[in-house]
This record gives sequence, C-alpha cells and structure tokens, in this order.
Amino acid sequence: MRRRFKKKSDESEINITPMLDIVFIMLIFFIVTTSFVKEISIDVNRPTKSPIKEQKKSDVISVRISAEGEVFVQDRLVNLDAVRANIETNLALKPQASVVVVSDRDADAGFLVKVIDQSRLAGASNVSLAAQK
Amino acid sequence: MLRRRKREEEDSEINITPMMDIVFIMLIFFIVTTSFIKETGIDPNRPEAETASRSELGNILIAISPNDQIWMNKNPIELQTVRILMEAAHAENPESSVVIVADELASTGIVIDIMDQIRLSGIAKVSISAQEK
Repeated sequence: MRRRFKKKSDESEINITPMLDIVFIMLIFFIVTTSFVKEISIDVNRPTKSPIKEQKKSDVISVRISAEGEVFVQDRLVNLDAVRANIETNLALKPQASVVVVSDRDADAGFLVKVIDQSRLAGASNVSLAAQK
Repeated sequence: MLRRRKREEEDSEINITPMMDIVFIMLIFFIVTTSFIKETGIDPNRPEAETASRSELGNILIAISPNDQIWMNKNPIELQTVRILMEAAHAENPESSVVIVADELASTGIVIDIMDQIRLSGIAKVSISAQEK
C-alpha cells in the first residue's frame, strides 16, 4: 500500500533539473563576480560653506599645510612628528574643538593624509578639510 | 518486471535535498554579499595612515593619478563629469559612500575639488583611501 502510493507521487513529481541548472549558474555567477575587496580609508569631513554651520573660531584648531610641505598648528610652524603632540595640547585646552586642516592646493595628498592621521591619533574626532584660497 | 526494476532504481537514488539546501544557502549568501565594486582602472600609491579603517559601504571608487588625472570605471574623466557620475551612482544606491583613492603625489587641490563635486551630488559620506602602516 505504501509502496504504491510512493510510486504514484514519484510519477507526478515536478522535474527540478532545469531549476537546479539555473541555480548552479546563478551560484557560479555570484561566486565569480563577488569581490571582497574593501578599501581601507579614513573619513574626512568637508565643511559646508553655509554661514549657519560656521563654527566659532575659538572652537577650531586650525592645521595649515603649505605647498612646500610645512605644517602650521594654530599658525605656529611645527614638525610633522610634533603635530600630534601640538593638537593634543590644544585639545586639552578646548576639548570640544574640531580640527580643520587647511591645505594649500599644491600640497601632496599623501602629506595631507599623514597630517589627518596624526590629528586623529591625537584624539580629534572631527577632522574636516578645507582648501586655501 | 519493468516496474519492479524501476522501483529498485528509485530506492538507490541519491537524495539531493541536502545538497539543494546548501546550494541555495550559498546562492543567497553570495547575492547578499556581492557589492559590485567598480574598478577605477588605475592603482595609485596609497598614503599610509594608522587610523585608517575598513569602510563597509564604500562602493564608489574614484582614483586620482600622480599627475592629477581622475579615473573612474576604468576611464579617465573630467572634473565636470564627476558630479553627473556621482548623481547616477547615488540614484542607483542611495546608501553608497565614496572612497577617493588619491595617489601620494596627487595635489590636495584636486582632492578637495572632487570632494566638493561629491557633496554637490548629494552623497554625504566621503573618505580618502589609505593603507595600513
């Protein structure tokens, strides 16, 4: 009795072979196209030009980069290695301040990233980038 | 006679249901994780940074070569077209963020110009690519 029933249901079974083919092809497609490459990057803010969001000068630690690769923290010329310590000192005085990196247009991007990295290491949570006119 | 043989074959058939389950789970996994990162076409020398982190949603890449050329989708592009391309990418995936892959020797001016164009296109999250020290 059971056997007969089983045989009957076998005959009326849907043929899943084409679906399997499609599923396999999709699987292979997704395996091939998946790229697990994730860029390693640092987040930078670009300050808005609208005057509403403009911060008070006292809440900003300005880091200026000249075209020759000199760094000025609060208008004082410092070495790249001293940037971190300088920003840490300034942050201790103004804990709510955000760091604004003002870069000359001709400065190297690599140098800019190093300066942003140093200021982030100093504990600045909010680093934004501005261009020098 | 024929019937009996058929039934015997059925009994010795491999059960493909667990395989199907696994294949479906793999298929769903790959569909979900695929992010279709578009290659930029060049591989710039990324600056080193200690605070760099892996960005999860950075799926729009824009590269800057050492001689300040902008590359996207394996084509060199003009600064004016950056905004249009970004708007198109933003419409395609509103959660996307942009990673600027700038060469160490690229000038900061072009990086800031591109950041402005990206902001104008409505994408809020921009980061600069780096490599771990």
